[in-house]
Amino acid sequence: MSAAAGAVLRATGIVAGYGAAEQILKGTSLHVAPGEIVSIIGPNGAGKSTLLKTLAGLVPAREGEIHLGGRDLTRADALGRSRAGIGFVPQERNVFGAMTVSDNLEISGFQNPGEVGRRSEEMYARYPMLADKRKALARTLSGGQRQILAMAMGLMNAPSLLLLDEPTAGLSPKAADELFDAIVALNRGGLPILMVEQHALEALAISTRGYVLVSGRNSREGAGPALASDPDIRKLFLGG
Amino acid sequence: MTQLLQALLNGVMTGALIAVPAIGFSAIFAVLRYPNFAIAAYATIGAFAAWWANAQLGLPIVASLFVAFAVTGVVGVAAEETALKRLRGNGALIVAIASIALNLVLENIVRFIFGNEMRGYDLPIARDLRFGELRIGPQQLQSLLLSVIIMAAMFLFLRYTRFGKAMRAVADNPDLARLKGIDPARIAIVTIFLGAGLTGVGGVLIGLDTSIDPLTGYRVLLSVFAAAVLGGLGSIPGAVVGALMLGIAEELALLAVPATYRTAVGFVAILLMLTFRPRGILGERAA
Repeated sequence: MSAAAGAVLRATGIVAGYGAAEQILKGTSLHVAPGEIVSIIGPNGAGKSTLLKTLAGLVPAREGEIHLGGRDLTRADALGRSRAGIGFVPQERNVFGAMTVSDNLEISGFQNPGEVGRRSEEMYARYPMLADKRKALARTLSGGQRQILAMAMGLMNAPSLLLLDEPTAGLSPKAADELFDAIVALNRGGLPILMVEQHALEALAISTRGYVLVSGRNSREGAGPALASDPDIRKLFLGG
Repeated sequence: MTQLLQALLNGVMTGALIAVPAIGFSAIFAVLRYPNFAIAAYATIGAFAAWWANAQLGLPIVASLFVAFAVTGVVGVAAEETALKRLRGNGALIVAIASIALNLVLENIVRFIFGNEMRGYDLPIARDLRFGELRIGPQQLQSLLLSVIIMAAMFLFLRYTRFGKAMRAVADNPDLARLKGIDPARIAIVTIFLGAGLTGVGGVLIGLDTSIDPLTGYRVLLSVFAAAVLGGLGSIPGAVVGALMLGIAEELALLAVPATYRTAVGFVAILLMLTFRPRGILGERAA
């Protein structure tokens, strides 16, 4: 309770789904404290991605509350949550394919036009690949390069929390490792990160804490490395 | 050979005139994802607004184009906000049908205000320019030049301005745009103003070539729609390419068939494109 009180993000009793009758999330709760990486793991269909989309405002919450830094965002839409400081990097269609890398960065800083130049240069310094490809169309990038661009786009509005949905999906093991390194480096700068990952072991290994979601409900919660080494978790979800 | 070259030249001229409203149509489709057939009325309204500014107030044609752009842009936004916007949630087909009804209403308002007679702009009478055996009217040349300037301005706007890039972003992926802090509703209003405004300017350019009456826009609606489908619905460069191809095809067809069959070229173009390449020449997605 005390940890949740000082949290950057606090979501309580979230009920959400896509259709009128369909409930994917059935009272899910979580929090992210300052400086944390928090992973959400669970079997397919557990509602992990739906939870992130609900937090980002793309799926409306029918019940529950969402607070960011003490501010109630439950009724805010995706635009309002983005403006409040939630950066969300979707799993798919997360870049504007017909636009160049530099235009993708520029448009992602739409809220702060005066800061776009400086922030773009920061992204080029942080991810030199983007500087090399700045005139390339986003759709011509490799999967790993596209994820890096998507993450950089998520940072352009200087969010107070970054949500990553399956950032390593479809990447080679090498590209996935590089992306995990990039996530850790980003977090070391102080940015709290909440991510959903299929590569649960690797994700938990770099996470401060983790949540296990089953059928839209919280099943387990704990420190990332502890969850990763828990025999029940390994057996049930990770095939270990 | 001269006949063929003349047809090609006329085709480029015709295509350039169709391209401007086709850009407007495609821009609206790209962002709002429905075909707005009220652009026929927007073209007519633009033509009459410019006629009023030119023939009644004595403004030069270029200044009248700005009047047409502003008046039609405002009419487009007002029509969208009052009539079409509330229907968007019911799907593209419903909005498209409503836009046909809206077109009839607007067209008849123009008829009520200005009457049915044909009107012409206050233009100096000038001889055709001759290049060997080829002939070009000075007014056609001016319209071509204006079309090229308008197309270039639109291209620069979309490519280099913050708002133009936001329009492209919303057209590509509205959800992602929203996540980046772009308000699609605001972008939609700007797009409708621009799209309707460009269509109005297109109506003036078409009127400069001949004359205007309340059916000015309706007569080119099929060509504009065909150009947009040919190029790829929602693609601005596609609309230009489609318009030029259609203009040339129409003029070349006239070498073989009577002028009454001219409209059929548009139908045939739509049919062929939807059969063999539904996403159009430069379209990203299936139409």
